[in-house]
Amino acid sequence: MGSSSNTNASGGGSDKEEKKEDKGKGKDSSEPSFKEGDRVLAYHGPLLYEAKVQRIENLEDEWRYFVHYLGWNKNWDEWVANDRLLKLTEENVRKQQELEKNQVVDKSMKSGRSTQHKLKGANADAKADKDDTKSLVKGKKRKSQPGTEEKERRSSESLLVSQFPLTLKKQLVDDWENVTQLGKLVKLPRSPTVDDILKRYLEHRAKKDNKINDSYAEVLKGLRCYFDKALPAMLLYKKERDQYTEEVKGDVSPSTVYGAEHLLRLFVKLPELLAFVNMEEDALNKLQQKLLDILKFLQKNQSTFFASVYDDRKSADGSKSK
Amino acid sequence: MDNVESAPDSPAQAPPSSASSLPKEQSQVELELRLLQALEFYPPSKLKGVHRHFVLYGLMEYLRKSLDRQFSADEVLQLLDRFFNLEMLKPEDDEKDNFSQGEEFSLPESFFNKEE
Repeated sequence: MGSSSNTNASGGGSDKEEKKEDKGKGKDSSEPSFKEGDRVLAYHGPLLYEAKVQRIENLEDEWRYFVHYLGWNKNWDEWVANDRLLKLTEENVRKQQELEKNQVVDKSMKSGRSTQHKLKGANADAKADKDDTKSLVKGKKRKSQPGTEEKERRSSESLLVSQFPLTLKKQLVDDWENVTQLGKLVKLPRSPTVDDILKRYLEHRAKKDNKINDSYAEVLKGLRCYFDKALPAMLLYKKERDQYTEEVKGDVSPSTVYGAEHLLRLFVKLPELLAFVNMEEDALNKLQQKLLDILKFLQKNQSTFFASVYDDRKSADGSKSK
Repeated sequence: MDNVESAPDSPAQAPPSSASSLPKEQSQVELELRLLQALEFYPPSKLKGVHRHFVLYGLMEYLRKSLDRQFSADEVLQLLDRFFNLEMLKPEDDEKDNFSQGEEFSLPESFFNKEE
């Protein structure tokens, strides 16, 4: 039994090799179809994704393109051949949207979001690679208890990441889908704003503790400060850039314009940012508990804090005379 | 800097409420000692940059833990003021870089998996 699956696996591998060779044949190798820096649409599995050509290389008479999928982790960057790429034209964008639409229908019939992501990873070897590394990392994390020699950064990562409330994770995925896949935007300014939410949390905390908790107050100030700095630097999807320039002018703080959707993205980045503070383990653990409590507060108020409907950007653009 | 030794005599430095609850001299020495220890983790230069609130939070935690009482942010800042001119502190250069790279937000893959 074991041997049969082995044969399958190795057979699959060599198949792939052959396919790669086939694709290479008969290609016009004189001119690359895309230049470095070109924005393109790239097939990954059944769907097209916006991507950027970062490097090109001529390998055995075939041009290969190293692409980064915009809005995706760099882990997905890969070398692809010409036949995986399309020019970024209106027609092709329409094609992309059509594929997506079919996918959404498909998805609702099957078991939800995760299918989509399995399909995205359909490219066999990349997927396998990623699963391997992921399980490795996970194994490591489980073993590491606070107090081992693991770097503090990691423990901060594991606590905030492992305890991240599930419904908020889903919120982030919906957010991702709305913005990057459906081309929608959160309507600004939001109400409540990040500022409002942080203040409300402090009030909520004060009621609970029966006094103003100074360390919570400092943490909330810190979050606000991070948010204002981080928003333009790392919390926006590319499709949200224009909106940012339009809505945040002069010395307006992003925390008075944006709301829970973007605040939640900050929590994804927090482990990275807090690593720069180099906090001692004890204080960091305490801090994480506080941050998780804030997340729970967001979760409790999820239906009122988060926008349920995102704006269709196309119609919004149309109404404005650009 | 000479004043540092005589700091316990300067009542303006600490809020009256907390100062009065301390058995003078020795606790002041202890307090300052702990603060200086804490600065090993939290260099004062970081009290200026974008991370300042979390650095201050760290200092508050450190003092709370080692002296077993609550410290407010103001209290810690006033303590620090005995040793440093906080106005003159400059943020470290490297921390500007953390935020200047206008990179796109990307949701880590792990968020797409239904784990439980």
